[in-house]
Amino acid sequence: MGNPLAALLIGFALLSLLFLSFRPNKGYLWQWRRALQNTGRALLENALKYLYDCEYKQLPCTLQSLSGGLSISAARAIKLLTRLEALDLVKSQGNALQLTDEGRSYALRIIRIHRVWERYLADETGVPAPEWHAEAEQQEHKMTFGEANVLAAQLGNPLYDPHGDPIPTAEGELPPSLGIPMTDLGKGQTAEIVHIEDEPEEIYAQLVAQGFDVGMHVHILDASPVRVRFALDGEEQSLAPVFAVNVTVLPLVEQSLEEVVYPSLAELQPGESGSVVSISRACRGVQRRRLMDLGVISGTKIKVEMSSVAGDPTAYEIRGATIALRKSQADSIFIKK
Amino acid sequence: MDEEGQKNVEEVLDSANSLRWEVGGNLHEALMESIYGDASRIADRVVTREGEKTRFDWERNLDRLLTSRWTGFPVMLVILAVVFWLTIAGANVPSAMLATLLVDMGHPFLKGLVGSINMPWWLDGLLIDGVYLSVAWVISVMLPPMAIFFPLFTLLEDFGYLPRVAFNLDNMFRKAGAHGKQALSMSMGFGCNAAGVIATRVIDSPRERLIAIITNNFALCNGRWPTQILIASLFIGALVPSAIAGLVSAAAVVGITLIGVFLTFATSWALSRTVLRGEASTFSLELPPYRPPRIMRTLYTSLIDRTLLVLWRAIIFAVPAGAAIWLLSNVTVGDLSLAEHLIEWMNPFALVLGLNGVILLAYIIAIPANEIVIPTILMLTVLSAKMAGMGEGTGVMFELTDDDSYMNVFKAGGWTLLTAVNLMLFSLIHNPCSTTIYTIYKETGSVKWTAIASLLPVFMGLVICFFVAQFWYLLVG
Repeated sequence: MGNPLAALLIGFALLSLLFLSFRPNKGYLWQWRRALQNTGRALLENALKYLYDCEYKQLPCTLQSLSGGLSISAARAIKLLTRLEALDLVKSQGNALQLTDEGRSYALRIIRIHRVWERYLADETGVPAPEWHAEAEQQEHKMTFGEANVLAAQLGNPLYDPHGDPIPTAEGELPPSLGIPMTDLGKGQTAEIVHIEDEPEEIYAQLVAQGFDVGMHVHILDASPVRVRFALDGEEQSLAPVFAVNVTVLPLVEQSLEEVVYPSLAELQPGESGSVVSISRACRGVQRRRLMDLGVISGTKIKVEMSSVAGDPTAYEIRGATIALRKSQADSIFIKK
Repeated sequence: MDEEGQKNVEEVLDSANSLRWEVGGNLHEALMESIYGDASRIADRVVTREGEKTRFDWERNLDRLLTSRWTGFPVMLVILAVVFWLTIAGANVPSAMLATLLVDMGHPFLKGLVGSINMPWWLDGLLIDGVYLSVAWVISVMLPPMAIFFPLFTLLEDFGYLPRVAFNLDNMFRKAGAHGKQALSMSMGFGCNAAGVIATRVIDSPRERLIAIITNNFALCNGRWPTQILIASLFIGALVPSAIAGLVSAAAVVGITLIGVFLTFATSWALSRTVLRGEASTFSLELPPYRPPRIMRTLYTSLIDRTLLVLWRAIIFAVPAGAAIWLLSNVTVGDLSLAEHLIEWMNPFALVLGLNGVILLAYIIAIPANEIVIPTILMLTVLSAKMAGMGEGTGVMFELTDDDSYMNVFKAGGWTLLTAVNLMLFSLIHNPCSTTIYTIYKETGSVKWTAIASLLPVFMGLVICFFVAQFWYLLVG
């Protein structure tokens, strides 16, 4: 029967090899595919995007910053730049690099594909928020501009990506950037979140975990150099300024009563009832539509009917029907008792 | 259009273009919300509801009994146990009757009939011994349990109990990335995986539905129970004194079932974090009011929609399987039949997995229905071990009546305890039958998900059998 010990070792080795190659994201196979992609056309397009980003933020761009921004060697950056200039997409004036009109419109097309795809991931799929950006970074080089336009039409021609960045129109129009960092708000001010920076990924993941989303209202309760304390759509939270600076807001002039802290549906005890104020912005796409289909809209009365054996989900009486919702869903429904 | 008008149009377009950024990204949502709001306001004004429906006290009390912390699970286990017991106990008699009618009486009768019209021996063998027998087998083993299980299940559903089960179990399924209603399709899978796959229609979230479809195969179906019980009582029960043999072999079968439930959760967890992570996911579960089940309607729909549909698909697939089984054992190349060539060719590989060539070949040609695996194994073992006087002839499936004759055949095939254990494992963890595969394709409409649902379990089964066998060789020798 051969040698069982050797067979077992070979078996384990093969299984680990399979695991290492195919595990999500970090698998060798995916890494290899990504490495293959970071050459040729993708590299060129990333360079154009980088240059456009500098231009949009009105920062100077040089060969050094380009090689840093794309994390490639200076030698490769020079080769890349030569190619871009030969294609008449970029021209250099002394040290500074500038997009030509053609280069700018190419960059805007790629950005449109990227942001439309992010919108699609956010609204129509279950891909978690911290992964939207990385997925779109891949997709922007695979999808054609025409396909992106068809997708945009299916999504109802969205104006903004889920991070609050404007999506360039098919003609390449883009509004100027608006808003101020959240850290510039003073105590007692209320503002609407218009943009959440998706890079670096670690900071973005933390912001997502705290429930930040574009369109939410933030009310500053207390701001010190080490900690910002605030109410985020009614829920009290705090953040270090290094995180808060990645959130861009538009201060609201009129201070309405809306900014009062509302409890969520999950905080009700069995037998209690309340009427719906709103559904959190973080609940989007099919999930949001499903709740609205069930009749969860502003003004609907909801009563807690019973909780299940394990305490989650809980059954609610909504418009005469008994509907079970999970805690994560009940958390995103704000109510007035 | 004159120049003035042209200019106006351009102005309007320009201001529309600049204004579109100001209305913000939530315009569509805001519109939708206000439409919903208007609709409900209008409905409230013009729809009169007679005597505002209230939940009755008995409904509330029943809900409390069925979903409370202390009584929820015990009540559920008792109800499910009763359903399974009724199915198994109730199906025995009609199954035996059908087998007598179709196999013991129908087969010789047809043989006699074609004998009298001088049909060539090969056509007679192919049609009667191959095709007819496998169809007869599938019907007699499959029909009675399904005709009992499905109506019982539909009655529970109609009464409103099954949504409460999903409600209670959702917490466990949520942690595995799945939907509570998967408990229902899984229970249905214990009756028949094809029906279980159809039952996933109640799950309306795309990701959770695919998870339920792909993992349904780990619910040990009606076609596999007899295999498990037979092998457990022959090999596992024989390890202990005969007084407790029944108990121990029953425990072994329950153990296999629990391994299946564990694999359901583990695979659901892994799928929702890998290949299925991008699929859209929502949750909602309506707990309808209790109502008296409509018995006649339930009987009719569950027989027509579930039992006959699944049975028909199974028969369609049993026809080519019967033909293949007969042909493989009767077409000879050199001095051995095709089946024997295949068995010898697969034997070395099968031994590494702790199985044997006969079992592997039986699982390949009996893909259409798990019900015919044991008859095929018996026939192939007799064929390849050249046991004279056993069985009904080359390529004719048969079953035996007592444990000793089974043991004789298996001993002649060189079976050990390891073979038995791995057969039980492989019977649980292998590709779904072709009826189920076809149903998965019908339900998902996708070759990709059908391929994953078919290949993932067989891959897992081969890996598990390999490790069990090699550890066995290492420790037991």
